[in-house]
Amino acid sequence: MKPAPFDYNKPASLSLAVSQLSETSGSGKIIAGGQSLGPMLNLRLARPNSVFDIRQLEELRGIQSDADSVSYGAAICHVDFEDGLVEDATQGMMRHVAGGIAHRAVRNRGTIGGSLAHADPAADWVNTTVALNATFTVLGATGRRTIAAPDFFLGAFTTSLNDDEVLEKITIPRLSDEAAWGYYKICRKKGEFAEAIGILVVDPIRGYARAVMGAVDAPPIVLDDLARSIAEAGTARDINLDQVVQQALPDANPISLRHHCVALQRAIQQVYPS
Amino acid sequence: MKSISLTINGETVTGQVEPRTHLADFMRGQLGLTGTHLGCEQGVCGACTVIIDGQPMRSCISYAVACDGATIQTVEGFDDDADLKALRTAFSANHALQCGFCTPGMLMTARDIVRRLEEPDTHRIRQELSGNLCRCTGYQGIVTAIASVIEQKPMAAKTQESRPKEATRIVAPKPFSVVATQDAPGTKTLSVSKLAMIVDSEGWTCLNQTLDLPHPQSEAWAFFEDLNQVAACMPGAQIDTIDGNDIRGHMQIKFGPIRASFDGTAQRKTDPGTKSGTLIGHGADRVSGTAADGGLTYSISALDAQTSRVSVEVRFKLTGPLAQFGRSGLVRDFAGRLTSQFGENIARVMAGESLATNAKGNDINALSLVWSVLTSRIKELFGK
Repeated sequence: MKPAPFDYNKPASLSLAVSQLSETSGSGKIIAGGQSLGPMLNLRLARPNSVFDIRQLEELRGIQSDADSVSYGAAICHVDFEDGLVEDATQGMMRHVAGGIAHRAVRNRGTIGGSLAHADPAADWVNTTVALNATFTVLGATGRRTIAAPDFFLGAFTTSLNDDEVLEKITIPRLSDEAAWGYYKICRKKGEFAEAIGILVVDPIRGYARAVMGAVDAPPIVLDDLARSIAEAGTARDINLDQVVQQALPDANPISLRHHCVALQRAIQQVYPS
Repeated sequence: MKSISLTINGETVTGQVEPRTHLADFMRGQLGLTGTHLGCEQGVCGACTVIIDGQPMRSCISYAVACDGATIQTVEGFDDDADLKALRTAFSANHALQCGFCTPGMLMTARDIVRRLEEPDTHRIRQELSGNLCRCTGYQGIVTAIASVIEQKPMAAKTQESRPKEATRIVAPKPFSVVATQDAPGTKTLSVSKLAMIVDSEGWTCLNQTLDLPHPQSEAWAFFEDLNQVAACMPGAQIDTIDGNDIRGHMQIKFGPIRASFDGTAQRKTDPGTKSGTLIGHGADRVSGTAADGGLTYSISALDAQTSRVSVEVRFKLTGPLAQFGRSGLVRDFAGRLTSQFGENIARVMAGESLATNAKGNDINALSLVWSVLTSRIKELFGK
């Protein structure tokens, strides 16, 4: 199983990567860790004319932090989060999530930015960044812009990145030390594509509450009103979760509904045990 | 061809590689290092796991050209490694291999596990080992072997690579009032369509959509009579020639990294009496060798003198390489968005709006609108 031939370029800077990419008018592809693109190249599902390798660009591997948020370079590997090698803005949530991505050998090479730009609905970072209301900074031929995570994901494998744009950094608002989070993922086997992901994040200091249903074959479903009613009640006792999930996924089959309901319920229980 | 230079098992190696050659093929084919095995070649089975710059990685989805300058260790390069010596002995003692195909990858992962884990916790070992498949299902012996090596490790070695503990988790915060998040999605809405989707037993994906339009039936019918106008509403579609009811055209698909351009023909039949019509087409993507068969059936009824309802059924079936993409749910999401966008575009064009286009004519990324429609449907749940 060999990929179709492609040209390989290793631009010396992100701005060079952007300008080289924009010259391909859509037939080029950015590669970082290649842990999602690699299989698609090998299977010849993806056949770009040229790839631009940005994995080793130092400018994409740094972090910037201030009182309100931490910005992560797009080429930081999952394992750097898992091993606590980069500051965690989220009271351990990103670290926990990173440790559950695929397998260690994949986490050693795969990057947060690559996963987000690939936009697989079952990907942990896709759902986590929406739950945390992250902001993405992208660099394109006509300049830099920022996109809120919920607006970034348009569909399976589809983002609001234009053909000449590259994801540069991911800015995560800090969770306060009174914040709580729950994350529950259902997989047939550890490391497989998720069947369902449930997330709840509440931060009393920031007045922030968001619930997310992920791995729905479409972008993450944000359930802000559900999260608000739980946070303001201080309990999830009075919530009819079956109904919420069913109405959010009217076309889902019973097995999938059950998965999503259980994932969300267990995520909520991690924050509100009773 | 690209020149690369890298260190493999302590020796500097140079070579000429095609960019598409992955590291495992380079080592096996050009260097004769056949200890590294290839199983799935898509990052799933773990047989090809090698150590790149000190960490285990998949050599089937790491391209040789991207490993220029890297330091690689394969199963052939650990003769004097204490951890691997202990693992070889333990694998042998615990019958941790039958056919041996997965063993090179198992040993690379096992070495990483014994170096990182402090305790021989078999549950954790199984989790860490989940990325390496053994078709003889000999996991019990492998897990026992790894656990025994961890157990034998001296205390000093165990604590050397210990990791910081995870932060303590807060539970059950007191009630607090939530500040609305301004950039929550779903602010734009243009909800004119309803969509339902099924996949039948013969592999056809069928999408049914109804559109209620604030236009009389005759106006909607006239719109559908103009094939160029209809095609302009389908993202990625372009008509090349129309000869009576025979149409020749192409459709470009961009689905993440997957791109295809289907060239094909379609025949139209219309029935002005019932205000309905069909378009049946066949196309092929020459690059991937994938064929597509599709049909569009539409009927237009009058809801009252000023409004009409358009019912559209889209059916399609792919055969060939692209049809082998195993994640059917994601393909359905894509087809659903395409069909929804088609409906939204019809409503907009009939309302006199122009469609957002890029240089290539159709911007499939204008699909954001559809997503906001979906989120708005979810928001309705809470009466907002």
